[in-house]
Amino acid sequence: MSSIALRLLFRKGGTASSILMIALLVSVLSSTQSIINYVNLQSETLGKLVHTGGTYLILSRNSTSTVDSRVEGGLTAKLGNLGYVKRVVPQKILMATIITNASSHTVRVRYVHDVLEFLEGLGAYLNGTVPKSQTEGCMGELLARMIHTDVGGEVLLDIDGKQLKVRVVGVFRSQTQSDVELLTSMETAEIFQGGSDAVSLIEFSLREGVDSREALNQIALLLPGDVKVVQVQRLREFVQQTNTQTLVFLRAWSLAVYAAIATASYMIAIKLVTESSYELAMLRALGIKRRLVFALVLAYTTTAAFLGSILGVAIGTVGAQMASTALRWLLPNVDLAPFIEADQAVEAVSLTLVSSILGCVYPALRLSRIRYMEQPL
Amino acid sequence: MRILRFQYLSRRRILTLAVTVMLSSMLFFTTAISLLGFYRGFNAYLGEGEDVLVVYDKGSSTPFTGLIPAHLAEKISMVNGVLASSPEVIAPCIVRGESVFLRGIVPEDFFKLNELKMIKGEAFELSDAYSAIVGRNVAERLKLKLGEALLAHGILADRYVELRVRGIYDSQSFLDDEILAPIYVGQWLRGTDYGHVTLIRVKIDRRALSPATVLEVVAEESSGLTHSSPGGGRPLEEPIIPRVTVRFRAEYVGVEEATRFMKSYMERYGVTRESLLTLSIMVFLFSSATIATASEILVTQHAGEVKVLRSLGASKKLLKMDILAKLLPWSTAATLAGIAIAVATLTVIQGCGCLRVLSHTVPVQLDPLVITLSLALALLLSSISVIKSEIL
Repeated sequence: MSSIALRLLFRKGGTASSILMIALLVSVLSSTQSIINYVNLQSETLGKLVHTGGTYLILSRNSTSTVDSRVEGGLTAKLGNLGYVKRVVPQKILMATIITNASSHTVRVRYVHDVLEFLEGLGAYLNGTVPKSQTEGCMGELLARMIHTDVGGEVLLDIDGKQLKVRVVGVFRSQTQSDVELLTSMETAEIFQGGSDAVSLIEFSLREGVDSREALNQIALLLPGDVKVVQVQRLREFVQQTNTQTLVFLRAWSLAVYAAIATASYMIAIKLVTESSYELAMLRALGIKRRLVFALVLAYTTTAAFLGSILGVAIGTVGAQMASTALRWLLPNVDLAPFIEADQAVEAVSLTLVSSILGCVYPALRLSRIRYMEQPL
Repeated sequence: MRILRFQYLSRRRILTLAVTVMLSSMLFFTTAISLLGFYRGFNAYLGEGEDVLVVYDKGSSTPFTGLIPAHLAEKISMVNGVLASSPEVIAPCIVRGESVFLRGIVPEDFFKLNELKMIKGEAFELSDAYSAIVGRNVAERLKLKLGEALLAHGILADRYVELRVRGIYDSQSFLDDEILAPIYVGQWLRGTDYGHVTLIRVKIDRRALSPATVLEVVAEESSGLTHSSPGGGRPLEEPIIPRVTVRFRAEYVGVEEATRFMKSYMERYGVTRESLLTLSIMVFLFSSATIATASEILVTQHAGEVKVLRSLGASKKLLKMDILAKLLPWSTAATLAGIAIAVATLTVIQGCGCLRVLSHTVPVQLDPLVITLSLALALLLSSISVIKSEIL
C-alpha cells in the first residue's frame, strides 16, 4: 500500500522541479568545494617543491622566549649517542649590555661549545678567526655595523652588573638572526652564570634518509616532561593552516546553503500537500493511517532531496570543470582543474538529507494531524 | 471594484514566502560580500591610488614569493618625482602555532607610504634588531602583549627569529594581520641574502613622473649604465645593512600600479570583480527556484479566494497586480532582513576568526551595488513568479 501511495505521489508533475530545486542548491556547494580543492591541492604541491630543512629545537615547555628557556645540558650527550642524530648544538642565550667607547646597546649573546662548528652549521662567512679564550668573541656583521666595531675591536660586556671585556676576533655573516648577536664560547658564560649545566636550548638535526616521525618519537621518550621539541621550518603546518582557513569559511558559508535547502524542502512538502490533496484524501479514504501519511510526505521529500543532492554534486562538479575549461580557452594564463573527493560528495548528500528532513517535518506532521473530515480535496 | 481593500492573502503563507526570499538574499549577500571583500582587500594590499607603484619580480607566481635586487630601491629613490621608495620582504611564518605573514621593512620609508596608528607602544627603528610591531588582528589572534617575545618559525627557510613586541598598530587594512619587523629580519625568514627583497613600493608625484620612467631606471640599472662602484654613493637606507649589488635582467622586473599589480595576479586565476559578482548572482539564481515555487504555492493556496474575486468580476490582470502589490513590500522587507542577517552573520564569523584567507581577515563592507542587485533580483523574481502564475 505504502509503495503504491509513494508511486502515486511521485507521478505528479512537480517532482522533477522539486529535485532540480535541491540539485541547484547543492551544485552551488559542490562547485565551490571543487574549486577550493584544486586551489588547496596546488598550494600543497607547491609546498612539496620547497626543500624543508631538518633542524629541531629543544626548549623548556613553559618558556616565553629562548632567553627564559632552561633545558638540562645532559640531554646533549643522550642525543649525541643516537645514531640517527647528525648534529647537536647546545646553546646558552643571554641578554647583555655591550658598552663601547661611544654608546651602550642591549644585545643577545649566544654561547656555544664550538663557535666554528656553529658557524659552519649556519653556512656563515667569517672575517677573522674564532674565539680561543673566554675573553674573545665573534660578532654578527649587522651588530658590528650597529655598534661601529670591527675585527680587533674591544667591547665591555655587562650582564647583571658582572662585566667582562671581550675582544672581537671575527665578524661573520650568516643571513640569520645570529648576524645581530655576539657569539662566544660556553666558558665565557660560566663567568656570568657559574658552572650551571643548564642551557637555553638544544639545536639538533637528523641524518638524511631517517624517518623523522619515528626518530622524533624515540627522542621524545628520552626527554623530561618539562621540555618540548619544535621543528624550525614549518612549511607543512603553514600550508595546512591556510588551506583550513578557506575550508572553515566554506563550512560557515555552507550553513546558509543548507538553511536554503531546508526551506526548499519545506516548500517541496507544502507543494506536495497542496497539489496532491486529492490523492492524499483518497488514500485516507482507503484507510491509510496518519502515521503513514507522515511517512509518505517525509519519504517523498527526502527521496527528492537525495536524488537532487546526487544530481547537484554532479552538476556542480561538471559545471565547475566546464567553466574552468572555457576560462582556460579565453584566458590561457588561468589554470584551474576543479575536482571533488568522494567523502565530500557523501558529506554533501548526507547534510542535504538532514536539512531536508528538518525542513519537511513540520508540514508532514501538520498533515498527519488533520482528521479525515478536515482533509482538503 | 476596489479589491485592494480585501485582505485575502494569509499572513502566515506570505511569511513563508518572505522567509524564502530572506534566505536567498542572505545567501547571495553573504557570497557577494565575502568574495568582494576578499577581492577588494587584496587589491588594496600594497596600497591604493595611481601614485603607488610596485617594482616586482615578473616570474613569481604569487605576490609574496618574488625576489628583486634591493639596491633598486636606492636608485629609484634618487629619481626626481619619487616621494618614497620602500623595499619590503614578505615572509610567511608560524608564530605561536599560527600562520602569519611577517613583513620586513625600512621603517623610515615604509611609514611614508602607510600611516599606522599605534594603539600601544611605539614603532621601531631599523637598528632595533630584536623588535617588531604587530597588527591589531595578529595581537588579538596570537594573544600578544607589549614586551612579550615571539618566536617566528620560517616557512621558506630553515630559520627562526626571536623578537619582542614593541608596539601594536591599527591600519584599517590587511596590514592589521601582519607583523612588521626590520627588513633584514624578513630577509632571514625569507631565506634570501641582503641583496634581495620581495618587492619595492614606490610613491610618485604623478605630475612629475610616470611608471615608465621608473621602468627606465630599472632598465638602466640592469644594463649597468648607472652602476656605481661598491661602497660608493649613498648606502642603502642605513649603513647597518651590507650593501649588495646584484646583477639582474630588466625583463624579469616589472613596474606597475599597486592595485593593477594585485589585480593581475588574481586575474591569473580568473578572479575578477565581474566574475565574483556573476558567481554570486548564479548562487542567487540557483536558490531562486525556491522563491518561484513559494510564489506559485502562495497563489495555489489562495485559489479559493481568487475564484470568489474572479466571480465578482476581478480580471486576471487586476488580481495579479493586486497580489504583486501586496507581496512586494514583504519581499523588500525580507530582502533587507536577509542583508542585515548576512552582515550580522559575517561579522560574527569574522569575529570568530573564520573569515580569513591566506591568514588575512576578509573585510566586511556594505557595497551599494550588491544591495541594489540583491533588492532588484528578489523583487524581479517575485514579480515574474506571480505574473507567470495561473490564476483561474
